This record gives sequence, structure tokens and C-alpha cells, in this order.
Amino acid sequence: MHRRIIALVVAAALVGGVVGAWRGSPAAGQVVGVLRTPLGGEPPTADPYFATDFSSGDLSFLMYTTLVGFDSKGRLVPEGARSWEVSPNGLVYTFHLRENVRFHSGRKVTAADWKWSFERMGDPALRTSVADVVLAGIEGYDAQQKGAPGLAGIKVVDPMTLQFVLNPKARGGFLNRLAYYAAVVLDRDVVEKGGKGWYESRDAGSGPFMLREWVHNDHVTLTSDPHYFLGAPRIARVEMPIVTQATTRLSEYQAGQLDLVQVPLADFQRIKAHPALGKELLVFPRAQIIWLGPNPRVYEPFKDARVRRAFAMAIDKSKIARTVFFGFYQPAASIVPPGIPGFYSGYRGLPYDPEGAKKLLAASPFAGKLPPLVIAMNPIAQDYQMAAEAVAAMLKDNLGVDVRLQKTEFANFQQGMNRRTVFPAFMTGWAADYLDYSDYLDLLLYSKSPLDRVSYANPEFDRLVDEANAAPTEAARTSLYHKAEALAVEDAAIVPIVFTQFALLKKPYVQGLQTTPALSGWLRFNTVSVQR
Amino acid sequence: MIRYLAYRVALTVPLLLGTALVIFLAGHYAPGDPVQVLLGDHYSPGAAARMRHELGLDRPLLVQFTTYVARAATFDFGVSYVNPARRVSDIVRQTLPTSMRLAALAVAVASAAGVLLGVWAALVPGSTLDRLIQVGVLAGLSVPSFVVAAILVLLFALRWRVLPVAGWGIPGDSVLPVTVLAAAPTAYITRISRASVRQVLAEDYVRTARSKGLHGRAILARHVLRNAALPIVTTVGMAFGYAITGAFVVEVVFNIPGMARVAVDAILQRDYTVIQTAVLVYTALFTVINLAVDLSYAALNPRVRY
Repeated sequence: MHRRIIALVVAAALVGGVVGAWRGSPAAGQVVGVLRTPLGGEPPTADPYFATDFSSGDLSFLMYTTLVGFDSKGRLVPEGARSWEVSPNGLVYTFHLRENVRFHSGRKVTAADWKWSFERMGDPALRTSVADVVLAGIEGYDAQQKGAPGLAGIKVVDPMTLQFVLNPKARGGFLNRLAYYAAVVLDRDVVEKGGKGWYESRDAGSGPFMLREWVHNDHVTLTSDPHYFLGAPRIARVEMPIVTQATTRLSEYQAGQLDLVQVPLADFQRIKAHPALGKELLVFPRAQIIWLGPNPRVYEPFKDARVRRAFAMAIDKSKIARTVFFGFYQPAASIVPPGIPGFYSGYRGLPYDPEGAKKLLAASPFAGKLPPLVIAMNPIAQDYQMAAEAVAAMLKDNLGVDVRLQKTEFANFQQGMNRRTVFPAFMTGWAADYLDYSDYLDLLLYSKSPLDRVSYANPEFDRLVDEANAAPTEAARTSLYHKAEALAVEDAAIVPIVFTQFALLKKPYVQGLQTTPALSGWLRFNTVSVQR
Repeated sequence: MIRYLAYRVALTVPLLLGTALVIFLAGHYAPGDPVQVLLGDHYSPGAAARMRHELGLDRPLLVQFTTYVARAATFDFGVSYVNPARRVSDIVRQTLPTSMRLAALAVAVASAAGVLLGVWAALVPGSTLDRLIQVGVLAGLSVPSFVVAAILVLLFALRWRVLPVAGWGIPGDSVLPVTVLAAAPTAYITRISRASVRQVLAEDYVRTARSKGLHGRAILARHVLRNAALPIVTTVGMAFGYAITGAFVVEVVFNIPGMARVAVDAILQRDYTVIQTAVLVYTALFTVINLAVDLSYAALNPRVRY
């Protein structure tokens, strides 16, 4: 009797062992010509015009083509267009399309496809938030929003020539905005015939990779397009398992199941010190800033610029960068991060000066009677909370303010921040959608922007931004933006804390990866090769 | 029996309705607003109002609820708020079988191992083996599954590299998650089996069987196990419930594309329709499991009659 039970147990153990061995060693699972990198969650969509989250953005970026793009240094480079001209008044952009750009269906991409795609993007019935970013300023866009058919300012000169006519009040940075990863051309046949979820089974793109398989909540597989206009990719497939937990992604990388992952902040130091993994670590600046938003609409003292400035000067950003973020992040003197063309290098911003801060506070009517301050923290990333904890401690030490931190769930945080009347102050971050000054200053601080959550309304700032947008040259534009930026920083409209960095782990057999300060940190994988 | 069955099935209707109402109200009154999440950084009051209207969130609560129930009755749970191209019923159809397979495997492993260990321990009470099993039971019951998961992943996937860290597709993928999910129910079933078998072993009819010279194996199979089975079956039913809820941790940790992980994602993203449906589906599942356990009593114990 006992013997039989023992036999059963042994048998069960053996079966378990065999099943385990079946898989072989996962460490040896690396396949030549296949890149395995995870998506952080199920992509809500693969329609590039709605791909505003990281998963959808990463996915559509690989499959679609913009007119112009960024290289790894952040410089504008031709993509779907081989060259372009700008009229002397800066209002007419003429793009000459490449002859060899083809949709994955094999059909040649023409100017008419671009016009159709951008008109779809602007269609008010579609209601995509990327339209405002890409199309605002094009002649006829406002009319289209009011119901006019089509976009008058986009003209098909001939099948290979596309023209954009901007209205004189257009925001600047038009080329940079065209490099936004969502400003892509779509294959009309696929979109129109595929119905509402057209992107589920095939893509409408002309990028280096095409959708082969999307198993919801499990994985997405892309295959390379041998006819890609910049040359066939050097890998055959990109396998993107959907892995929601950062720690699981890291473990899978360590076990050899993934080739390229982002490193969670919490694991950075351990990875850096690890003898093997440390060598596979890539660290480079990310176009992201972590900032404190003082909200004058809720916390009365913030209506006084002296109080805001005192708070900004009581925060030792260098110490936060050095000790809280162990030197991984850089102290932020300005708002627009390095990596954005025109970065205000050399600008010192407001100094760390606790004594000066106390004096400023003493000169304000709130001296000695500051009410307790609550700082809400964006819960989406751990670094926002780490920054908030340090800031709270410094404000207590240097100004004697009673600071409390509020942790709330993401939907609630987002809602409170958008309403502008809920949080006295908040700690959050902002990362670039496209590498341009306007993606920061125009959106975060311009008084008419829906994202001006600190209710900054400085006519002088608005005027400088307007002038920058109307500036005739890039140099003049940058110089005006610098003035606007300095004004906002010295007003302490928002308090920049640190500029962040990317940390990626990449297997040594993955070569030719090009990085970027935007998106998830990498450019399209068409230059990547995977070999032993 | 049939009347009882009909009665129990009919009882699930008000139960599910009540659940639907509670989850509906909870979703409505919880802080945060799905429209805010959907619009994210592109929020504006105008866009929010349009979207709220499109989703029907601006209608009176009662209208929203009755529409929801009427549709749910035909298995139409609407579309996901986060990916409006996906129907919630499709999401359930794609992910629930994975969760069920995981739970079934875990229950099968837990039942087999638990009964085996429990009976074994009961036969040699007080021995070293019994004590070892008791310690194992205590550990299985008290160590949380995410700790078990982390230890197993560290050893089997990262150090010895014999099993994958996470995933779902090839047979090896299921070994670690099933082990983790089966750990606590195994311990529980072991404890109940041991107690139940020991109790039966002390019964007069076992002594009688023994005194009339019956073979040990026959006593165990015909007299002991059959009489000890009732509490064990209840425990197996509970183990199934545990495996379903435990999947909320295990599916996330091992990245298994099942219903539980989808539900967790939906909660984090405020995907209302998916959350509502997940709660309904799980309520229905628990009801079915409880019913199955109750009915199995009748099959196992002739004294129980409905």
C-alpha cells in the first residue's frame, strides 16, 4: 500500500520533470533574425490616429510611415518624403514623395493617399486627439471642424507632390509636428473595407514591419516587409509578448525569453551593479521632465508669485537628482528637456537658496501663516512619488510648511488635475510626443491650452509663445521660446524638478539598435540585427 | 431532486441581478471617471461631454442600469471602453477558457496530492512523515502565493533555468503557475482529508471490518474513503473557488492571458463594461460551483435527499 503511494508520488514528480525539460533551456531560446521585446499592456488600438498610449504607440510606430522623422540625435530626416521646400513666407510646405514607398498591400503610396489620410484624421466624426497636434494651423482645418468636407489646405500637386498651406496664425514647429509618430499615411482600402476594428487583423501601413498576428492579451507578432523603402529590415520578425508587470519583463529578460526591455527605476541600481547585466545596460536622456504644479486656484498663497518662487527656491533639485535618483536623473533648471532641438543649455533657472526663499516668503502677506499644503502624486510611475516625498521634506525643513502627500488612484488623479480645482499642488511628469518646444510650453502653460492645469495666465508669456510660433526662422523661434521658458520658470508657474533618462537592457547579440529621447527610447527596428 | 435543482437555478437570477446592481453602483460612485481615463492628456470639457454622451454615461442611472441588464440577458455586455472595437463577450470568450483550464489543472493537482498526502498522514499518525506533512500544510496555508511564486521563479526559471519565467502556450508554461495556485488548496485538502480519514478510522464499523479479517486495502477503499469523502468533496469545491480567485495573483505574476489578468487590467484602466462583466461571470461561476458541491452530496451520501 505505502509502496504504491510512494511510486505514485515519484511518478508524478517524474512527469513534472519531463514536462519541464520539454521546454528545454529557455536561455537558449534566442532565435537568429527574431527580436523579442514586450508590450507593457494590451494595446487599446493599433489605429495610429488613436495610439496615444505606449503599447499602441510602440506598435504602430513600427508599422507606419511619417513624411519626416527624427534620427537618434533628434534631427529631422526625410521619411515618406524625400525632400521638401518651404515658401519664403513660411506658410507653404511642398513635399516631394519618395517613389518607392509602398503599402504592405503592395500599392504605391501617392500624394492622394496622404491627403485622404490627413482628412480622415481631421474628420470631426472620428474625434482623435492627434488631429489638433498635427493638423492645427493647416488652412481649412477649422472649417473642417465646423463641418466643411475635406481639408482645403492640403493639395495634391501631382501624384508625387504634396502641398500644405498653413494659415498665418498657425503654430510653429509644423515640420516637427509632422514627425509625430501618429502623423502617418494609411492604406485607404484596408481602412474602408475593414470596418470599425480594421486594425485588428491587418495593418494599413508602409513601415518596415507588418502585422502578422495579434492574439489579444497574449502577444503581437510583426513580420518584416522586404520592400521597405529604406531597405529590407535585417530581422525577419518582431515578437512582442504582452507582459503587464515590469518585474516579470525583467525576469523574462534575465531568463533569456526577451531581448530588449526597459529597466524599472527600482531595479536600476541592482542591474547597474550586476556583473553581467550591467554590461547590457543602455542609459541615455529621455525627453521627459518631472515637475511640481502649484495650483493657485486651490491654494491661495500660490496666487502670489513670491510664494511660488520661495517654494521653488527651497527645493534642492541637485540633491534630489543625486540622492533620491542616485544620479540617474539630472536636475532640471528649465522646463524643456535636453534632447529637444533648441534645449536651453546653460540656463540656470531659480537657484537653490533656502535663505532667499525665507526672505521672499517673509515679504509676502502669507508670512508665518501658510496653511498646510497637500501635494497629490501621480501614481502611474514610482519616480513621481519619490520626487514628491523629497520635495515635501525639503519644504518642511526649509520653509516650515506643513506638507502632506496624497496618494490617489490614476483615474482620480487625472480627473483632479484636469478639473484644476481639486489639488492644491501635484507632482507629475510630461514626456514628448514629438521633439519640439511647443509640445511643452504651448501645451502645459499657454493660457488657452486645455492642459494648462496650473491655470498660468501670463499675457507676456502668451505673447512670447505667439511670437515664437510666428517667427520667420528657427533661430528666432528658439530665442523667443527661451524667453518664454525663463519667464515661466522665474514666475515658478511650474517647478521643474528633474529630467529623466531611459535605461534599457539589450542582449549583446542584438546589434544596430538606434535610440531616441522620445517614445519608448528606440527608433524603428529596421536597422537591428539579431545574431550569435 | 429536479424541483430542488430548478429552485436553486431560479435563485441565481435575483443573485446575479443584485450583483449587477451593486457593481453598477460601485462603479458609478467610486472616485474617478472613465471618460477622464479615456481622454488622458487630451482631456477637454467639450471632448469629455461628447464622449460621456456617446457612452451613454449622461443618461439617468436607472436607464443606464436597465439597458445594461436587458442587454446582459442576451449575453451582450457592450464594448470595452478602452478598446471600443472589442466586444466584452468576445473578451470573455477568449480569456475565460484559459482561466478555467488553469483553475481545473490546479484543482486536479491539489485534489490528487491533497487526498494522497492526507490519507497517508492519517494512516501513520504521529510519525515523522505525518509531522513533515503537517509542517508542509502549515506552510502551504500561510505563505502567500506571490511569495511562493517569486521563490519558484527564482529557483526554477532564473537559477536552474528549467522552466520559463512566464507565459502561456507550451506545456512547460503551466508547471509553475499550477504549482503556485495548487499550493494552498493542496494544504487545505490534505488537512481535511487527514482529519476526516482519522475520524472514520476510529468508527466501530471500521473496527468490525478489521475484526472480521478484511484486508487493509479493502477497508480503506470500501469503508474509510467513501465515508470520509463528504467533507473532502466540499473542500475540493472550495479549492475551485480558491483557484479562481487565486488566479488574480497568479495570472498577473506569470503573465497568463486569462480572464483574471484582463479583469485586473480593466480595474486599473477603469474599463467599466469589462469590470462589470467580470464580476458577473465570477459570481455565476461561484454559484455553479456551490450548486455542484451541494448536488454531489446527494450522489455521495444516500442519507442526503433533496
